[in-house]
Amino acid sequence: METGRAMSVALALRGIRKTFPGVVAVDGVDLDVRRGEIHALVGENGAGKSTLARIAFGELHADAGSVEAHGTVGLVHQHFELVGRLRVWQNVLLGREPRTGWRIDTRAARARVTHLAQRNGLSIDPDALVEDLPVGMRQRVELLRELERDPAVLLLDEPTAALAPGEIDAFFATIEQLAHNGTAVLVVTHKLNEVMEHAQRVTVMRHGKIVEQTQIARTSAREIAQAMVGGELPAIAQRAATVLAPCLSIRDLRTAGAAGLRGVDLDVRRGEIVGIAGVEGNGQSALADAIAGMITHAGTVAFASPHTTVGIVPQDRAREALVLGWSLVENVAFSRFQNARMHAGPFVNFANARTDAQTIAQRFDVRAATLDVPVATLSGGNQQKIVVGRALVDHPEFLLAYNPTRGIDVGAAALVQSRLVQARNDGAAILLISFELDEILALADRVLVLFNGSIAGAFDGASADRGELGRLMAGGA
Amino acid sequence: MKSLMDRARGARGALGALAIALVLITAAMLVAGASPIDGFAALFAGALGGTHQLGETLVQATALLFPALGIALAFRAGLFNIGAEGQLLVGGLAAGALGANVHLAPALAAVIMLGGGALAGGVWGGIAGWLKARFGANEIIATLMLNFIAASLTGYLVAGPLKSSPAGGPETAPLAHAYWLPVLLPYTRLSIALLIALAIAALLHVVLTRTVFGYELRAIGEAPEAARRAGISLQRMALLALASSGAIAGLGGASIVAGELHRFNTQLSPGYGYTAIAVALVGDLDARWICVAAFAFGILETGGLAMQAVANIPKDAIHVIEGVIVVLLAARRYVAARAAIAS
Repeated sequence: METGRAMSVALALRGIRKTFPGVVAVDGVDLDVRRGEIHALVGENGAGKSTLARIAFGELHADAGSVEAHGTVGLVHQHFELVGRLRVWQNVLLGREPRTGWRIDTRAARARVTHLAQRNGLSIDPDALVEDLPVGMRQRVELLRELERDPAVLLLDEPTAALAPGEIDAFFATIEQLAHNGTAVLVVTHKLNEVMEHAQRVTVMRHGKIVEQTQIARTSAREIAQAMVGGELPAIAQRAATVLAPCLSIRDLRTAGAAGLRGVDLDVRRGEIVGIAGVEGNGQSALADAIAGMITHAGTVAFASPHTTVGIVPQDRAREALVLGWSLVENVAFSRFQNARMHAGPFVNFANARTDAQTIAQRFDVRAATLDVPVATLSGGNQQKIVVGRALVDHPEFLLAYNPTRGIDVGAAALVQSRLVQARNDGAAILLISFELDEILALADRVLVLFNGSIAGAFDGASADRGELGRLMAGGA
Repeated sequence: MKSLMDRARGARGALGALAIALVLITAAMLVAGASPIDGFAALFAGALGGTHQLGETLVQATALLFPALGIALAFRAGLFNIGAEGQLLVGGLAAGALGANVHLAPALAAVIMLGGGALAGGVWGGIAGWLKARFGANEIIATLMLNFIAASLTGYLVAGPLKSSPAGGPETAPLAHAYWLPVLLPYTRLSIALLIALAIAALLHVVLTRTVFGYELRAIGEAPEAARRAGISLQRMALLALASSGAIAGLGGASIVAGELHRFNTQLSPGYGYTAIAVALVGDLDARWICVAAFAFGILETGGLAMQAVANIPKDAIHVIEGVIVVLLAARRYVAARAAIAS
């Protein structure tokens, strides 16, 4: 890659500074992205990397500094910005449709999108409704929309957050092709394995500043991770020997719907973590909801005793777990009103709620100015620590954890994972549903692969083979 | 347990709305060719210039305060109760019918009348709640439709079965003087209904900020999915919220009958149940600020008449201005919600 072409700078950021009320998001950053390179921009949540990308794109204005781009800049957002009720070609060409007179030339438009997709090796049906497409396809639409403008610089904000392993490989194949053809690519991410595998250079941000900038060949994932968190990574707690005892038993569980379950049997025993590996949309949500009693189902979900205590970490912390406008104390009380500790007659027992909130904040290193600020003001990582901490504060015998570290930074994720292992060591039965295979492999004593609503395979955690798991997750027999 | 910032925001909302109202009234006066100074002098003299005027302002404020508190309760649960007008009417009718027909010690009779009014309003709101809980009916439509039913039903009942005398008008028999709520401010129509309304406001504030019920209520309003997963039944809470909301409005209707009209007639409310929506919004759905907002609206209602005479501005202009305030506040909430989503 070290050709002359690769050395010319396509995007130059100089002295970028951006403040939001109360925080300096980006603090004097210089960054070059060169033609033909894939440049990774990494950092923990709140390090300022997304803000920097939006400034480079022109979506935000920097308070100081300059942005110099040679050619157009395209940005693929982390949260897709598509119109679900429109077709693929309509989304790709939105606002730039070819016209004949005052009418949109649909034939030319379709041809243009089909050609664009073919040229970039992104097969897609231009007439599909975006709302009907799976996540991986939607991202293709988003990517095509940017490619349509033939950008010299392509910015990707957490592009693989919602993709399955197979989709991720296909995605990077496309990106590498683009880079090979001379596009300058900046990937904002927190997945270090992708950085190591696909990028040529990496820039690490922490607290709005660049703390490390180097060639991938001269660094390691561990060094990058340490630069991100600014010190040693917290090690995940060791699994200790435990006494297994029956806790949850699921037999022939079936639920309605396309992403439902088609006869699932599984057991979770106290003292073990059972990991459910699988690509999103293969029945994970139905499994979690059936256990939580949120949906009707056929078959049995039985706990060892009717008094088995249960903690739940739902998938979507902002929607399903927290009331964002409320404080940590209030959130700790609110989901546990069945617990006698949380009320005194008709009144909320704020004293006990505060004690528990303090315990959670301490055990999970929740960084909040006080326990009384609305949780909406906390970072996603801190919010997630609260959700997991709250699920564990009563020492439940069974814990359901659904993507417990999704979208949070490395340090917070390691802490949450450690607490899960400790709960297991203390005798909790844990069912871990995760879209991150690495997380399952790191934590689970046993691994079950969920595909199309059924268990496609069962493995011992220690001997599970990545390749074999990946094959089953993708539907291989 | 709102944060200090939220409190300031609530205060700013109410004060900002008042400031805008003053500016708009000034503009209206200038357009009408009247001196704003004379106009405001007339407005405040008409509303606060003497015992009689103050009493009348507080009578209006009380009549608005009950339904506004009820509306705020439902709103905090994420439910738009625009049926306070109907709930007022059925509450008033229940109080009038009970008061005309029971023979009890005065204090007990007052309790029966007010309790009966609250119960009737609660049932009326509860019907909308049940429709929502059972069939998923939209509470805005349900409560609105129930207003028309309440108006027709109470009109029919006082024109027929509950009519005071064959020769009389469409109203229930007058209450025995002993059943009237005691007057609070001598030589005015202001009864202790004001104190009851303030007590309800205090109670509502405590319920919303300190009790499990209040937290569950607000949870279904602010984060319904999280509430459901925390084991709170959305159906049950919707029913309870709309029933309690209706009960407070019904109590308001009963207090107008027992404290002011001393009988029920179909002229009980000149639209208090609708104006109260504005009062609740201006008060930022916070019981404390709603008391302030109700007083401000009382001033506008009472002083508007005097202003009409002096500054030549039709009293209806006051209602137009009230409407503008509501739109502004609704826009402010919308903008705040958008900003919250964007961040």
